[in-house]
Amino acid sequence: MNRTLLAFLRKELMQTLRDPRMRVILFIMPVVQMTVFGLALSTEVRDIRLRVLREPGDSAMARLEERFYASGWFVPAAGGGETDSDATLYAPPGGFRRAMERGEGDVQLIVDAVNAAKARAIEAYANAILAGFLRSGLGPGEPPPAIDLDVRVLYNPAMESAVFMVPGVMSMILCLVTIVLTSMSFAREREGGTFETIVSAPLHDWEIILGKTLPYILLGLVDAALVITAGVLLFSVPLRGPLWILALSAFVFIITTVSVGTLISTIADSQQQAMLGGFLFLFPAILMSGIMFPVENMPPAIAWVAHLDPLMYFVRLLRNVLLKGGDPWVVGSNLAVLAAMACGAAALAFKRFRQTLN
Amino acid sequence: MSVGVETSGLRKRLKANEALSGVTLSFEPGVLNGVIGPDGAGKTTLLRVLIGLLAPTEGTVAYSVDGRPAGFDAIRPGMAYMPQQPSLYPDLSVREHLEFFADLYRLPAAVYRERSEELLRVTRLERFQDRRAGRLSGGMYKKLGLMCALLQSPSLMLLDEPTNGVDPISRREFWELLGRVTARKVTVIISTAYMEEADRCARVHLLEAGKVLASGAPAELKRERGIKGFAELFLRLGGAA
Repeated sequence: MNRTLLAFLRKELMQTLRDPRMRVILFIMPVVQMTVFGLALSTEVRDIRLRVLREPGDSAMARLEERFYASGWFVPAAGGGETDSDATLYAPPGGFRRAMERGEGDVQLIVDAVNAAKARAIEAYANAILAGFLRSGLGPGEPPPAIDLDVRVLYNPAMESAVFMVPGVMSMILCLVTIVLTSMSFAREREGGTFETIVSAPLHDWEIILGKTLPYILLGLVDAALVITAGVLLFSVPLRGPLWILALSAFVFIITTVSVGTLISTIADSQQQAMLGGFLFLFPAILMSGIMFPVENMPPAIAWVAHLDPLMYFVRLLRNVLLKGGDPWVVGSNLAVLAAMACGAAALAFKRFRQTLN
Repeated sequence: MSVGVETSGLRKRLKANEALSGVTLSFEPGVLNGVIGPDGAGKTTLLRVLIGLLAPTEGTVAYSVDGRPAGFDAIRPGMAYMPQQPSLYPDLSVREHLEFFADLYRLPAAVYRERSEELLRVTRLERFQDRRAGRLSGGMYKKLGLMCALLQSPSLMLLDEPTNGVDPISRREFWELLGRVTARKVTVIISTAYMEEADRCARVHLLEAGKVLASGAPAELKRERGIKGFAELFLRLGGAA
């Protein structure tokens, strides 16, 4: 290996690992964030307080009510008032069975939609429970319908939101750590006055840039191993794709984020500006990545901008490799876009590197 | 080898200010060349242009080796620069700094060992080689900066106000160290705002507001102008302006 690169590698690792705060940021925080975000970022809504209004003798409605509670999503509302519940289920007038016999009648669900996301989840759960109830027949001894809908859920049979969200959280943490650390690295040299010493040394620009970024690529890979292990062990996220594809994807993504971090650092004059620049990139990148909100649901203009977000490609890649085993087309196309972004950001950073001195 | 530097009509605009306004100078090879001037005279900008950190807006810099013209790329490996502001890593020790710069300059291990031992002895920093730069005194810090620059045995050294903010004893030691460097025919270009330090140079260039006021040997210049010190000259010129 080039001796200059080795010198930078040793120096950067020594400086980074010698600082106790940096050790915490690098090795403890990602696992803590992984655990906290993995638990907190969930699309599942549980303990929905349900109030059911039915006549005492309506046994079919009583069985439907039981189904709601047995699903694990709903619990009986403690009080009798509307404000004590998240949803209220009204039986058809005259009872559920009589409505079915008449061939008309509504089971009405009134949902508190102050939290729209929660309301949508309640509606979806209720529809699923009602459909299941109708498919199974109204009571003991009564035949189920002749044609049934046989639903099989692939890749995430238990439909656990953690299995979907945790790969997103992994990507987010990797992006955060690598961008913030790299953008601060150059800015720290500039602020500390050491930048001038380095650039005046008889070195090629590529040696300085690579020497400064290589340590963060390595540290990013260590973090990738940490968060992926934590995700698999703590949240039982399946690892269905080959490990080498996972490692290659993480490597290409980290090169991309480190290049973006370097570009930010060539714009920033101080560590404060670098930190601010990093977060100005991170917030939209996380929100538009599809980790929390599907890109397909965004307005066309925003969805177009989202396609410039490297995090979006890595989230797709990681979910595909972990949950579906790594479809060659999905892996190849997303890796190609990430590699192109890395080249673009690195070229811009390289161009700006000398400009900033003048 | 002896490196000479000549500038011709150098101009450098930094945002709204013209830091250098047509600077034409000749730095003598193998001696201590001083760039003397008050704060804001353009000394740092001049040195940054000479080391290639800044591109001049106008004008040229020509280098020569043993009297023959040489390109910047040819002499760059033998150039060393010590910036004015703190330029060392506070969390690395004296020894770690030397190792880092030896690797940057790709010094063979035996050469590094010999030079680092000599420099540590001469600067009397042997006892402090495990101390981090952030915990060194002002004088020791500057000596370490100079050691890092000297490690590669340069043929052209550019030192930007190296004694700024250093106590008188450390300053004296620093100049003694520079004396050893010039004894080896290294071309040194040193900027300073301390007018009394001009007397230690073989040749001085007086700079004010980006313009050259005078150039020559210090004693000669003083005799010609009938002054005892260069501060007097700057004050007189300032008064005239």
